[in-house]
Amino acid sequence: MTLLKTLRNRLRLFSLIVVLVAGWVGAAEKNPQSVQVRIRTILAGNKSDEFDPKLKDMEQQLKPLKYRSYRSLKDDSQNVPWQGTRSFEIPGGRLLTVAPQEYQNNRVSLKVRLTEGDKPVLDTAVGIQNKGNFILGGPPHEGGTLVLLISAAAQ
Amino acid sequence: MRNCEGIRESIGSWLDGELSAAESESVRAHLVSCTDCGETRRRLEKMQLALKAALISQAPQIEFMSFWRGVERRINQKRAWYDDLLDWSRGLFAAPRVAWMVPAVIGILLVLASTDVWRLGGSRNSFASVESIDAYGRSVALLREQETKTTVIWLYQDQEGENDAAEDTAKSAPTF
Repeated sequence: MTLLKTLRNRLRLFSLIVVLVAGWVGAAEKNPQSVQVRIRTILAGNKSDEFDPKLKDMEQQLKPLKYRSYRSLKDDSQNVPWQGTRSFEIPGGRLLTVAPQEYQNNRVSLKVRLTEGDKPVLDTAVGIQNKGNFILGGPPHEGGTLVLLISAAAQ
Repeated sequence: MRNCEGIRESIGSWLDGELSAAESESVRAHLVSCTDCGETRRRLEKMQLALKAALISQAPQIEFMSFWRGVERRINQKRAWYDDLLDWSRGLFAAPRVAWMVPAVIGILLVLASTDVWRLGGSRNSFASVESIDAYGRSVALLREQETKTTVIWLYQDQEGENDAAEDTAKSAPTF
């Protein structure tokens, strides 16, 4: 009986520790202060077979787009606080505004707006895995097409 | 003075010499003065003597040597590997170890669930989820590429106003 009591007490104690640690880990995950947003602007086209070596790390991700050439035009990073907004200049007089909304289950929710001068072109709300990315493409530029790789990492 | 019931419970231990000096003296003093308890003591002494006599008379007839030989043989016998495995597995699932293992396993699972290791290992949840798109009347395509887990939002923008190379752009719209 004494052994059973001891075991039960140990089990309770460890369960409590596990719950506390899990709570602490969960709380730590839910409290990043800001988001590092990175926008890579790429000009895709079909006039040559040039592939910019700077884009080597995202070659696989660009493959489904089926263009022949890819050239890096810009690579910007900004630290954005939660509920704050930051704008990134995109070639062709465009502006990409990013507003991180929330961080939950290792995913970052972003609101993204693309404008051309004063005209809004696209508004979207996207949830991406922390340190993950997505592609926004299509706007024409200098005989090619702009491809924006938008990534976010909670800090 | 202890009561008779308590003394009678102690008589057996007293006869076997298992009591402390003080307790032994207390029982002895009671037995001298109490006839009922003295009677109990005599009955127990008789029983002990009878048992001892029986054991002494029977002991030489018991064959201990074959028993010891059997024990010796079992000690020297080489154990099969599966016997060792069986003993090890019994020890593994013994109650005290299981009591430690249950919370330990829960803890490990929680840690794995809260790190990137789990998510990188599995394919779920790695796509970007697009909750809303408003392209202000323009056409939009949404592509989810399985191999690289890439989500693509493709905007089919009006080519008017672009330079003469715009035609090339329109033709080169991705074929995903």
